[in-house]
Amino acid sequence: MAYGSVKCCLQCATCSLVAGCLCRALKFLSQKDSRVKEEARLWPRGKTLRLEIPGAKGFTVTASHQGFQKLPQDTPGDVTIRFKSPADAFRVFTGQLSVAQAYAQHRFTLRGNMGLAMPFVRCVDIAEGYLFPAFLAKRILKRPARKEVSTALVYLAVLFGGIVPCLPTMSSSSPQSSCRATAPWSTSPTS
Amino acid sequence: MEAAGTVRVLHAALVQGGMPAAETYCHVPPDSSIDTVNHIAALFREKNCDSLIALGGGSVIDTAKGVGMVLAQAGHDLMDSAGCEVLPRGEHVPFVAVPTTAGTGSEATLVAVIADPKEQVKMEFLSYHLLPDVAVLDPRMTLTLPPRITASTGFDALVHAIEAATCLQRNPVSDAFAEGAIRLLCRNLLPAVANGKDKAVRMAMANGSLLAGAAFSNSMVGLVHAIGHALGGVCHVAHGEAMTILLPAVMAYNLDKCRERYAELLLFVAGPEVYAATPPAERAQKTIDTLIHLRRRLADLTGLPTTLSRTGKVQPADFPAVARKALNDGAIIVNPAQADYDDVLALLKEVWA
Repeated sequence: MAYGSVKCCLQCATCSLVAGCLCRALKFLSQKDSRVKEEARLWPRGKTLRLEIPGAKGFTVTASHQGFQKLPQDTPGDVTIRFKSPADAFRVFTGQLSVAQAYAQHRFTLRGNMGLAMPFVRCVDIAEGYLFPAFLAKRILKRPARKEVSTALVYLAVLFGGIVPCLPTMSSSSPQSSCRATAPWSTSPTS
Repeated sequence: MEAAGTVRVLHAALVQGGMPAAETYCHVPPDSSIDTVNHIAALFREKNCDSLIALGGGSVIDTAKGVGMVLAQAGHDLMDSAGCEVLPRGEHVPFVAVPTTAGTGSEATLVAVIADPKEQVKMEFLSYHLLPDVAVLDPRMTLTLPPRITASTGFDALVHAIEAATCLQRNPVSDAFAEGAIRLLCRNLLPAVANGKDKAVRMAMANGSLLAGAAFSNSMVGLVHAIGHALGGVCHVAHGEAMTILLPAVMAYNLDKCRERYAELLLFVAGPEVYAATPPAERAQKTIDTLIHLRRRLADLTGLPTTLSRTGKVQPADFPAVARKALNDGAIIVNPAQADYDDVLALLKEVWA
């Protein structure tokens, strides 16, 4: 029983942490990844999506041409995805299951118009392609999305709250050098 | 007229059973909406009815599921229950479904699609509480179905079974239903089109459709339905015709992910002799080829379109809107192969002519 409680607490803590990271990654990618950017641009104005995890911290987001934005914790969602248990969310957030697999296995309920949840699911799939190691992404995703931004930058964005002032894209000619010139984290602490 | 005929059969059966209908509603539109559902629910209360019988195709049965939801949730906004598995049980209203086509399988599914005209969206409701209590399969209800509709609805049922047997959500229960459905439908679809008055064949088709409904209710459908729904929504292509046009192309698209499963399905699609005579490495492609052959024969017999251009309802200029809508259909999430905007667009171009 005690072991079960500790396990559940750890799962909830992990889910809260990863949910926060995912939210930051989405915010960042909706500025820098063309596909996420486009999904955010086409997002129905003012509509919100809420992710709920029993016992853990979820989030509510909306999107616009400015990208994904996290809303206050208690904002209701036009669409709400609710995991049936912390263990179900844990499996998704630790790369054991994709969102599609979790849906297929009835691991969450969805309240509202499914058509609004689909763009979010596509964005999560893209974000997972960046956040999870390649072998994990390959195992759970049907076709991991091609990376348009350096994974390291996505991680930095996650650490810095979804904002990285300057970043290279995978397709630009000499992205690394131009970024190093202006990005704050590349500046020497002594300069 | 045909509807009136089937209604008469039902009324006669009810009177014979000492339970005449308190009210009959015959004006369900092709796309059910919350307004129709609310109207029928009000009528139900006004006439002090205590149970529902849905006699018709998918739209009628889905409307009845919606009425059942409104009555069960007394006083609640039905749209609050849209989505997957969020519908509370509520008060139980006995519900009997009598399908008049062998295609939708709605008599055996936990899904209802009901439009919200205000928001201009079709809302999907998925809940075990939506399953009818009883499904009555009576070949008399489909005897007068025209050959072309028999062909397209029958092919729709076949697509339900094949997608249920191959999508990410497949499981041993759905596989059993799907394989039984495929065997029945592949054996009886051409005879049902050739001689619609054959009650044994009509009954076999009704059973096949029900099994296919049970299969995808325990599993899910996939990309054929995602694109088919979008073609219906954007261009008003009849659902069965969209399924007929799309199935072989989507199966070829999914082939790399489903090769083994398609090979297994050859046994049910073509029978044991063809299965045994086909080398294992060729069985998957043979399954697709057999279905293309079946479709060609149906098209020859009934004029069923096999390309989008022949429907007369689609233009290539519609493809981007169709592709965008298909991507937001819930069925696409469980398709075995990933499909993005460009993939759907390529598939639409492939089935154009």
